Amino acid sequence: MEISEVLLEELIVFDVESRTKDRAIRELAAKLENTGYVTDIDAYLAAVMKREEISSTGLGMGVAIPHGKSGAVAKACVVFGRSRDGIDYQSDDGEPVYLLFLIAAPEAADEHLRILANISRKLIHERVRNELRQAETAREVYQALS
Amino acid sequence: MKLVAITSCSTGIAHTYMAAEALEVAAKELGYQIKVETQGSIGAENVLTAQEIKEADAVVIAASTTVNKDRFAGKKLREADVNDAILRGKALLESAATAEVYNAKGAAFVEKRAAGKSMGIYVHLMTGVSYMIPFVVAGGISIALAFAFGGINSEGAVASTINGLGGLAMGLMWPALGGYVAFSIADRPGLVPGMVFGMMASQMSAGFLGALAGGFLAGYIALTIKKIKLPKALMGLMPILIIPVFSVLVGGVIFKLFIGIPVGWLNQVMTDWLQSMSNASGVMLGAILGAMMAIDLAGPIGKAAYFFGVASLTNLVQGETSLIMAAVMVSGMVPPLAMALSSTIIGKNRYSNEQRESGKSAWVLGLSFISEGAIPFAVADPIRVLGSCTVGAAISGALSMIFNCGLAVPHGGFFVFMIPGAVSNVFLYILALLVGTAVSGVLITALKKPVEEAVN
Repeated sequence: MEISEVLLEELIVFDVESRTKDRAIRELAAKLENTGYVTDIDAYLAAVMKREEISSTGLGMGVAIPHGKSGAVAKACVVFGRSRDGIDYQSDDGEPVYLLFLIAAPEAADEHLRILANISRKLIHERVRNELRQAETAREVYQALS
Repeated sequence: MKLVAITSCSTGIAHTYMAAEALEVAAKELGYQIKVETQGSIGAENVLTAQEIKEADAVVIAASTTVNKDRFAGKKLREADVNDAILRGKALLESAATAEVYNAKGAAFVEKRAAGKSMGIYVHLMTGVSYMIPFVVAGGISIALAFAFGGINSEGAVASTINGLGGLAMGLMWPALGGYVAFSIADRPGLVPGMVFGMMASQMSAGFLGALAGGFLAGYIALTIKKIKLPKALMGLMPILIIPVFSVLVGGVIFKLFIGIPVGWLNQVMTDWLQSMSNASGVMLGAILGAMMAIDLAGPIGKAAYFFGVASLTNLVQGETSLIMAAVMVSGMVPPLAMALSSTIIGKNRYSNEQRESGKSAWVLGLSFISEGAIPFAVADPIRVLGSCTVGAAISGALSMIFNCGLAVPHGGFFVFMIPGAVSNVFLYILALLVGTAVSGVLITALKKPVEEAVN
């Protein structure tokens, strides 16, 4: 199974325009419309926001992984957004976020969850984060994460 | 420093795995050993075994959910939020050394059963395998060395000494397997009967399945005897007298009756059956012998096939070779080579680190016609491994017959290929070996699912 099956090429946003957390999440979520992966964007967004209430998914290191598990998700997928200027994400370390992975997970177990787990693991490595911040093409994004 | 850890987060999608990776990276930087179990939405993965927990210096739990701690009674336990692991992994690991010992009431009591019954059996198997592997490797490599120095009869003082050492180490794999399966079930009391029954299995050629059966029998008998209530004065005698003596006596009789006798009978039946097959077509016979060599890896069926091959050598005159012996040897080389191929080249992610390591030595063992090299894999996953190996071995056996390959010696593997007169049609013989190995290797790789271990 390939990363490209979960992180579709059209779900990569190289220049996130929004500068605040809520807007950035909505901007990325809008990408999921008409993909067939999420049947009800609002219901899915509600799940994401509910998760954010528990604790910020901005962990520091310039990375945030907002995610929602919802019946409105037909198939696991992820939207990758990269911000040039940084997003005010209310992260634990107070630093802006440059790499945003918006994950949509279905209620039922899904084999794609394993890929999401692997992507999460990769983000711990500084080298991967640097490559993602410099990536210009979808190919480079996949390479950084593989 | 050796650590075990658990990571878990509320949705189990991202942070569980980031934390696991962060802890592994931090441990590497600190020079610690760590194994991290992830409890995420995919379920628990890379699950800690009782043995690993036992050997760990401390336990780290990085979770934003409730994690069951029953398994960790008596261990130093450091708990933190999952985010701490991601951001401050190093500090978290360093603080584990001075953590307080976890001591929930009654926790020790459930410790053994915590993993659940079915999970438990797998843990016992893997404990046995991990103690057995070094014996197989040490023994197998030594024997191969002896072949290399002294030819297949290990001629000369050096070669024969090394060969003897290898044989001893190899022979101890059976008690190690039986003993440590039983040890995993019943702790120390299991060790003595487990080793004894493993040795019995070896002597009666019951193969690894016999040794495994012995290990489980020993473990559960020791566990049962341990629970018997005796007057206080006699309780002191439990560990050094009562448990060892009775578990060996009672279990030994059961083992002899229910394993030994059927195994001997099976061996006899197979031997007789092969005799009656002597006139069957060569290809058919080759396939059957090949399948027998792999189906129980040096157990009663394989042994019958091997001795059928050796017997075919006795009537040869100088310069003749035996087609039957050739089919037997080539197919006996297939299982370890196929497992080596799968675990070190084409299907790495389907095996644990430990298995991949033993896969490297399986190359040498396979080339030396030491079928036991495949046993560590077969114990962990018998049906898939034995099934795949049997198919390839049967093909090699049949091909060897079709190619009209012959062999004049009873052992030696690759080391005799180059000796003039030992193998006839040697290049086709190698082809037969390659084809069977490739078939089995691809088959097992296709059948096995990838295991989730941080493969980096």
